[in-house]
Amino acid sequence: MATIRRFKAMDLFTVNNINLDKYTETYPLGFYLSYMSQWPDLFSAAESAGGRLMGYMMGKVEGKGELWHGHVTALTVAPECRRLGLARGLMRFLEDASEKTYDCYFVDLFVRPSNKVAVRMYETLGYILYRQVIDYYMGNGVMPTEYAYDMRRALPRDVGGKSVVPLKHPVGIEETFF
Amino acid sequence: MDNVKQALKECDRLLRKNPNHLSAHAMKAYALARLGDTDAALEIGEMILKIPKSAANSHVRQALVLTYKFLRRPGEVIAVYNAAQKHLPDDESIYTSIFLTAASNEMFSEQHQAAVAVNKAFKREKYTWWIVVSLLVQAQFEKGPGNAQLQLTLAQRMAEKALQDHHVTNTEHLRVLLLVLEAQGNHEAMLSALSLDSPMAQQIANDPDLVTQRIDLLVKTCSFKEAIDAAAQTLDARDNWIDYKLYIEAVIGAIKQSAGDPDAQQQVLRDTCERLIKWSHTRGRARGAQLATVELAAKIVISGFNVGHELGVRSLGDQIWVYVDLFQNKAICYSDIMQYFVENVREAAATANSNPAISTVLLDFHSKQLSQRIQQVRQNADSSEDSAQAWVNMEKIHYLLQALRGDDDPEKWIDGVDFFLKFGLDSKNAKAKQAASSDMVLLACQRLIQATFLAYPREQQKTQGFLTRSIFTILCVLEEGIRLNGENFLLKLYAIRLYLCLSCYSRARTLYDSLDIKHIQNDTLGYFIVGQGLALGCFIPDLELSYKGVSFYDTAYVTIPHELESAYKNGTYSNIPDFLEFNDNLKNSFQRQVSHRCALRNETIEQGRSKDVVEVLETTDTQSIELTDSVLALLHDNRDFKVMGLLTPLDMAQCNLEILTRPTPVHSVHWIRVFSLLPQAMHYMAVADVEALEAKKDQLISTVAEAGDSLSVYDKKIVQGICFIADIYTCLLGNPSSVDEKIDELVKIIDTGIPDEETADPKPTDLSKLPFSTIRDLAAVTEIFTYAVCAKHAASRHNLPFSNAFGFALTQLRKKALRCIPALKSWSNKSARSAISDSWVDTDRPMLLSDISQHVRTKHKQALDTVVKGCADSWLKSAKGVLAHWEQCSL
Repeated sequence: MATIRRFKAMDLFTVNNINLDKYTETYPLGFYLSYMSQWPDLFSAAESAGGRLMGYMMGKVEGKGELWHGHVTALTVAPECRRLGLARGLMRFLEDASEKTYDCYFVDLFVRPSNKVAVRMYETLGYILYRQVIDYYMGNGVMPTEYAYDMRRALPRDVGGKSVVPLKHPVGIEETFF
Repeated sequence: MDNVKQALKECDRLLRKNPNHLSAHAMKAYALARLGDTDAALEIGEMILKIPKSAANSHVRQALVLTYKFLRRPGEVIAVYNAAQKHLPDDESIYTSIFLTAASNEMFSEQHQAAVAVNKAFKREKYTWWIVVSLLVQAQFEKGPGNAQLQLTLAQRMAEKALQDHHVTNTEHLRVLLLVLEAQGNHEAMLSALSLDSPMAQQIANDPDLVTQRIDLLVKTCSFKEAIDAAAQTLDARDNWIDYKLYIEAVIGAIKQSAGDPDAQQQVLRDTCERLIKWSHTRGRARGAQLATVELAAKIVISGFNVGHELGVRSLGDQIWVYVDLFQNKAICYSDIMQYFVENVREAAATANSNPAISTVLLDFHSKQLSQRIQQVRQNADSSEDSAQAWVNMEKIHYLLQALRGDDDPEKWIDGVDFFLKFGLDSKNAKAKQAASSDMVLLACQRLIQATFLAYPREQQKTQGFLTRSIFTILCVLEEGIRLNGENFLLKLYAIRLYLCLSCYSRARTLYDSLDIKHIQNDTLGYFIVGQGLALGCFIPDLELSYKGVSFYDTAYVTIPHELESAYKNGTYSNIPDFLEFNDNLKNSFQRQVSHRCALRNETIEQGRSKDVVEVLETTDTQSIELTDSVLALLHDNRDFKVMGLLTPLDMAQCNLEILTRPTPVHSVHWIRVFSLLPQAMHYMAVADVEALEAKKDQLISTVAEAGDSLSVYDKKIVQGICFIADIYTCLLGNPSSVDEKIDELVKIIDTGIPDEETADPKPTDLSKLPFSTIRDLAAVTEIFTYAVCAKHAASRHNLPFSNAFGFALTQLRKKALRCIPALKSWSNKSARSAISDSWVDTDRPMLLSDISQHVRTKHKQALDTVVKGCADSWLKSAKGVLAHWEQCSL
């Protein structure tokens, strides 16, 4: 059973059962802290009844005009905590904040196509493949270089669903900056 | 660096043309700082600041700030801004820069003063909060005698005034107010700030943490009825464990409050049960509600109430099994329920006046429940992933119950492991890389490790070889598990540990590297391997890893202050106490000290090959490694021991596999102290300060005496060696007549670690000794030899008499080592594999894990080959590393 709460810097000492998973990147310290110092309400942790971290989600808001959106930077769940609906709960946390606090048009995320379990999960949560991003993920000896799927879900503010009309051609990384 | 040199030339060129060019002076200071000439940089900075109005020039100011930031001198940065402020009193950015510099460098008093100054001068809402936060962190984090209560009172007044004046406009402001009030234990005021009537009510309702905090405060202020209502309302909308816990706490509080009114108590419980049932029937909510029912049963036991049974709240034991039956097919089931098994067994005994019989009765009850289920789930394990997971959970419970019973019969620990392995390694589920299969392999290994260390306690069984054979067998199982599912990092972590127990650094390092451990993980997971290369003759790989750790801490030194600044700029104040605590944990990290000492030792070993080592030792910064008891007491242990997926509570040392599998050296506070004193002793030899050298030697001796078993025999040997070297050095300086005797003692101790010429080609039976002591001993004496060579170079440099005799003795030792170590290398290269086969694989000598060994031999040849190769190659690399050192470390 999980408690979903804000992520704290002190949690970084106990993320190993999550981050040792091969799909989860361990970023430099500044990356985590900068998310905490800019969007503390979009960086949440799931903690087990026994007090261990089960997963976390880092997010941010960015873009101008109708591109104002919530972005899932990282969503990861420890292997032993999968199939519990935890990722769904963490996503809801970000979607709620994107909608109610930040009044965004949509939420988007990038995922490795090879991470089929994750892609399937996002689809069930209502995300569609908006576009592919060429060589977004660089190989690091453990994981290969790969395209990214840029997946999106429209929020109520995007009444016409303009943000989720899929693009026909892949784009370069430079086109993904807001 | 070339660019910096170019910049310096450019500055000099400009200054030749115009000696009063202040910007060029300031830029020159920065360039010199970057090039390591700190004194010259500081001198220029001082000179510039003496010139009136110099800091008012933005270019000069910027360059000086960069210089002092680079030199980590925040006090001087503030001095630059203060100098500028005198001439630019209306420049708001200078005020904020002073504040941010003080805030990001934990100069709490200066930070508070700067906050007051900027608020007074510019009167902005945000600066009020800067003052409040400054007072809060000053009260909480300033070292030494302070006036925390006064600071908190002031902070509270300011924050409450802001609230009255409607300047609490977002949840971050509210969080600061709550932090201030919490620091004073003022729960009533906190509750009032979170009132549902406040203008912030909507924002509070949208912030899940604040909603939970409000319930928590209602419980803390004994407003149990309101807490129950608030928690119930929240739980109607979301499924969050902490809210369930608070709900149950409130229910228990309400029952206690109604003591003497059984009807009221029954009503509270009735309502609770109804709600829990309602939630458990809501789609996707069953697990939380059921676990809350277990929590309720547990709390009823602890509180000693005799209520609830008639309303359907079962005993804790029964409730636990209801939960297990419902959720056994979830991987998290065991983790959720483990604490309740422990609580049930331990608390029941405690409440029954420490009657151990109660524990036995409860353990018997749980064992009976388990045996009714385990057979069936085992039989069904093949049928689906869920069924397999159910079996894994049952076996984990089985493990815990055995541990709680204190079972010390190794045979009972390995009972049934053959089934685990069939499923985990040989079944179709295993081939399909099913998670439960890997879990079963891990569980098998955990049982095998537990049994092995019970059957063959390390110290007693080393020489008989049973422990090494068992570890080897378990490694085969782990390697097969890794081959089938390389994504299971727990299998790798256990394999790293066991390879290191067999002195196999290289294979352990490969597995460690495959986990892509980096950044903060250097602090939390570095303990798995940092220092092991040093202990096993792989000095260069260990140096690289130690540097990786050291550079992480250096990066943190820059990163965290930067993010503290960001938090103030962005107004995300609630992060600040968390960031400061985090910074403190990293700055005073235990592992940081370990990485640093390993780097120092490895550097000395590396540089010991060169005669220039004396110059290096002369410049060793002894100040920064002068550790007092108070400094050591402040260390934070951030090492993540829970990562090994332990199945028992950490306090059960006899079942704690992390502790059981720790290879030597075990890093302790004594270890840090010893390897802080050692480079200091070497430094005093290099500078020929006998008095200081003697003092360090005495400290080393007393530290070893204090340490007891917390220092390994090899570390103690290194200390013994350095003490002999110190004695020799002192004799050379003052009393050369007894130097021969001292040299003999040193030679003797180094000689004990060099493989014997006659047994340099060990017979297979010697394999029991090699993985435990041969390589570690050799690495330790290699280190001692290096220090001896350094001391000899220092003696020669100071033209001490008889230093040649010392050199001659060391040369003889080196000759012997260069005859014997190649034999070890050659044996590792040519004979180690067959020796392993003879001693550990194809042997008829029965041992605890004979059946498992047989299973591995017949069914998992590939894994067996991997381990054989891993061991032989690792020993070869250790022998090569040590040999290369002796070859290059000439006199």
